[in-house]
Amino acid sequence: MLRRVLVSACCLGLAAAGLVAPSPARGQAGATKTVRVAIKGFENNITPFTVGFGALPATNDIQHLVYDALFWSQAVPDPEPWLAESAESEDGGSTWDVKLREGVTWHDGTPFTSADVAFSFDYYKAQPGASGRYAHHVSDMPAYDRSEIVDEHRLRIFFRQPAPQFRIMPGGDLPIIAKHVYEGVAEPASMTTQLPVGTGPFKLVEIVPDQRYRMEANEDHFKGAPKIDQLELVIVKDPQSAYTALRTGDVDMVERNIPPELVEQLRGTDGIGVAESTRFDSIQMYFNARKAPWSDPKLRKAISTGIDLDALVDTVLLGHGRPGRDAFVHPDSPWALPEAEAGHDFDRPAAATMLDDAGYTAKDPDGVRKAPDGTRLELNVLVSSFEPTDIRAMQLVGEQIAPLGVKLNVEPLDPATLRTRRQAPPGSVPTYDAYVSSLEAHAHVDPDGLYYFFHSPGPKGFGASITGYTNAEMDRLIEEATGKENDERKEILGEAQKVLAQEVPVIVLYYPDGQFAFREAAYDGWVADKGQGIFTKRSFLPGYEEIAVQGAADLEEPAAAGGDDEGSGVPVIPIAVAVVAAVGLFAYLGNRGRRRTAEDE
Amino acid sequence: MTRHVLRTVAQYGAVLVAAIALNFALPRLAPGDAIDYLLPPEQAGALTPEQRAEILDRFGLNDPLPEQFKDYVAGIARGDLLVSIRFGRPVTSLLGERVGWTLLLVGGALVLSTVIGALLGFRSAWRRGTSADTGTMAGMMFLDALPPFFVGMLLLLAFSVGLGWFPSYGALAPSDARGLESIGEVLKRAVLPIATLAIAGLGPMYLVARSALVSELAEDYVLMAEAKGLTDKEVRRHAARNALLPVSTVALVGLGTLVGGAAVVETVFSYPGLGRLIYESVLARDYPVIQGAFLLLIVTVVVANLLNDLVYPYLDPRVRRAHHE
Repeated sequence: MLRRVLVSACCLGLAAAGLVAPSPARGQAGATKTVRVAIKGFENNITPFTVGFGALPATNDIQHLVYDALFWSQAVPDPEPWLAESAESEDGGSTWDVKLREGVTWHDGTPFTSADVAFSFDYYKAQPGASGRYAHHVSDMPAYDRSEIVDEHRLRIFFRQPAPQFRIMPGGDLPIIAKHVYEGVAEPASMTTQLPVGTGPFKLVEIVPDQRYRMEANEDHFKGAPKIDQLELVIVKDPQSAYTALRTGDVDMVERNIPPELVEQLRGTDGIGVAESTRFDSIQMYFNARKAPWSDPKLRKAISTGIDLDALVDTVLLGHGRPGRDAFVHPDSPWALPEAEAGHDFDRPAAATMLDDAGYTAKDPDGVRKAPDGTRLELNVLVSSFEPTDIRAMQLVGEQIAPLGVKLNVEPLDPATLRTRRQAPPGSVPTYDAYVSSLEAHAHVDPDGLYYFFHSPGPKGFGASITGYTNAEMDRLIEEATGKENDERKEILGEAQKVLAQEVPVIVLYYPDGQFAFREAAYDGWVADKGQGIFTKRSFLPGYEEIAVQGAADLEEPAAAGGDDEGSGVPVIPIAVAVVAAVGLFAYLGNRGRRRTAEDE
Repeated sequence: MTRHVLRTVAQYGAVLVAAIALNFALPRLAPGDAIDYLLPPEQAGALTPEQRAEILDRFGLNDPLPEQFKDYVAGIARGDLLVSIRFGRPVTSLLGERVGWTLLLVGGALVLSTVIGALLGFRSAWRRGTSADTGTMAGMMFLDALPPFFVGMLLLLAFSVGLGWFPSYGALAPSDARGLESIGEVLKRAVLPIATLAIAGLGPMYLVARSALVSELAEDYVLMAEAKGLTDKEVRRHAARNALLPVSTVALVGLGTLVGGAAVVETVFSYPGLGRLIYESVLARDYPVIQGAFLLLIVTVVVANLLNDLVYPYLDPRVRRAHHE
């Protein structure tokens, strides 16, 4: 009886296998050219008011496929005119005359005019809660005042204080929204299911929550028709699963930095290209500057000097990154101090001397130093339990600074708990010692980024409100910088970075390289968009061939059609042998049992 | 009999009420604030206290706890489970989207693991002490000890990456599939997750079936049947029917656990089921979703148990008679 059932089950299984056996690769056969990209998380209907930031750091990139900004992108000092043809100021940045591109239409066919731009700025300002990260670029820094519509394609934008970097921020960042969609909407955050209306190169046509987005090319885009017909963003949360899907050809590109341990393996896989294009990420440890003894800049500097960041990059990132800089700002950011003035010097004896000089001479029997007031130098670092690389890095840092007499404890926590531990009720000081967190391009390229992160905690609630870092010289410099143009601002921000390098309110551990894997046969038009990685609208638009990535396609023969990737590092044969052996053993034992029963009878 | 039914229903009603109250209290005891998950740290940090209050207000999270509890109970009565903090959409529609996928996975796996587990268990029991029995037992123990995510990854490697028979992620057919083809695509995507869950559920089912039949075989009626000269097959049928009772109990009771426990498998296969939704909502402190999903689970478990209690007398005449006396 059982035997029969098993046999028929096997037959059924085989039949099913035959039924489902390789269907022709999708996306290449028909007339429509579809590219499938695995993203990290769901972003509702991706409007600026409804995203959940589940796909970070790509949230912005996804939005800018559907929406456009006045300029592109935020990561360079001279962004390309996009929805704007030009933006000029004659009074040092307080008033901007913006000339818009003509003949642009929204995805629903409505013409795009200066009224939409004026409306966008007003609306973001009026919706501080819902517009999340975009709010502070119109309400705080730079401080948007009002707009005046000159004609259909011209407007004047007024700021309450000079905003000489208008083209970058908010110009290169703020998605322009349609007046006819949002006019009269009081709660944009609750419009979570409607399809968004933008001017961007792709129209979002289908949303399947937590599964996928389907976008169709906007053939009428003013930069030219996109080079593909359809873009599917599929949500694959587990990184291993995402790269498995890439290998099987179920997706054509994985929108996330390749984990260091997979880089070499993917490079060696036929048909898969690995592109390099940094997204200006950084991983850093923040000290609680309001809690003794960590509020002492000399102590922080000594600890920093005792950390070998090169060793971290080699061990933790397997060399796929650059060591952190004491001056914080990403080395490729337009505002970064030159390397010579901003690097990091590892010198353990010097660090010990610095600790002695600063008065941390007393030691407990276990070798841990004590502050003059008797507090042990025990640094408890909060790390997200979801970031194994960060945990490894901090364990290594702990080993490096132990000989100095500083004990480091790593405390992994789930992200929500970690963020709560960082906060304190109003009027009191948070109790943590330090925590680790990551930042992406936006933090490093925003000309006012240092203001947001390191200005004394102020009434506006931003500035260094989390770490509580305070330095009068720092405040003076970054306030002065906000009204200055490129070169002058860069110089002042350089001075501010020197202060950071001396006081080390954060220790940048490293800047990971941006490495992205894609299937060459499916699409190889990816471009390295500075500070944006390769998953950017420019990758799909004509005219950016000169910044195309140097994928494996240039080095090897083009992959044969059908992308043969058998033996791509997967131990199929051993697995098959193991399965066969197990089944064989089972059958053998089963038969023996049967015989014995027969003999018994 | 009717009294028994009423009492059982009342008992389960009390359990349900207690569970609903607990369901409200537990997520609020965890550390962490929903807003810290809503926005990335640099923005959550950049919000003014007024902006934070405005956002929390929108979700009613600033009200005093008794107020929140009142709203919660009233909402359940209306079938309105609030709006998800993370998705900004009604929890009922979020659950609705996922429950179908989870039922497909869990239902498929439950049927497979019950049928295969029971057959193998009965077979082992019949040949108790032979090497067939110990071999199967060892195999089942081995499978049971493998964590489901590992089994899932092995299946993915073998059948998706290696042989290319099944897609490696997701539940939906590609957007260009039509009609029958899209049904095939959906089934194709369900095969590996169902197999993984079925393997995970096989061990317990096998053990229950085996021990049930072993104890039945020691009963006097089996001796009697053998003495009467019935064939092996007939004896086996008598005993197996009785041994099916605990198997059905385990299958029904296991339903609730399986729904929640599928989270790991849903993550490995990027499957949009309830388990993953619950897991992510817990991390996000998305209280409305956590409560809604747990409510659904509680109701499932309670109803499954109730069904089991009510159906049992019909499956087992002994129980039926006991109630009549």
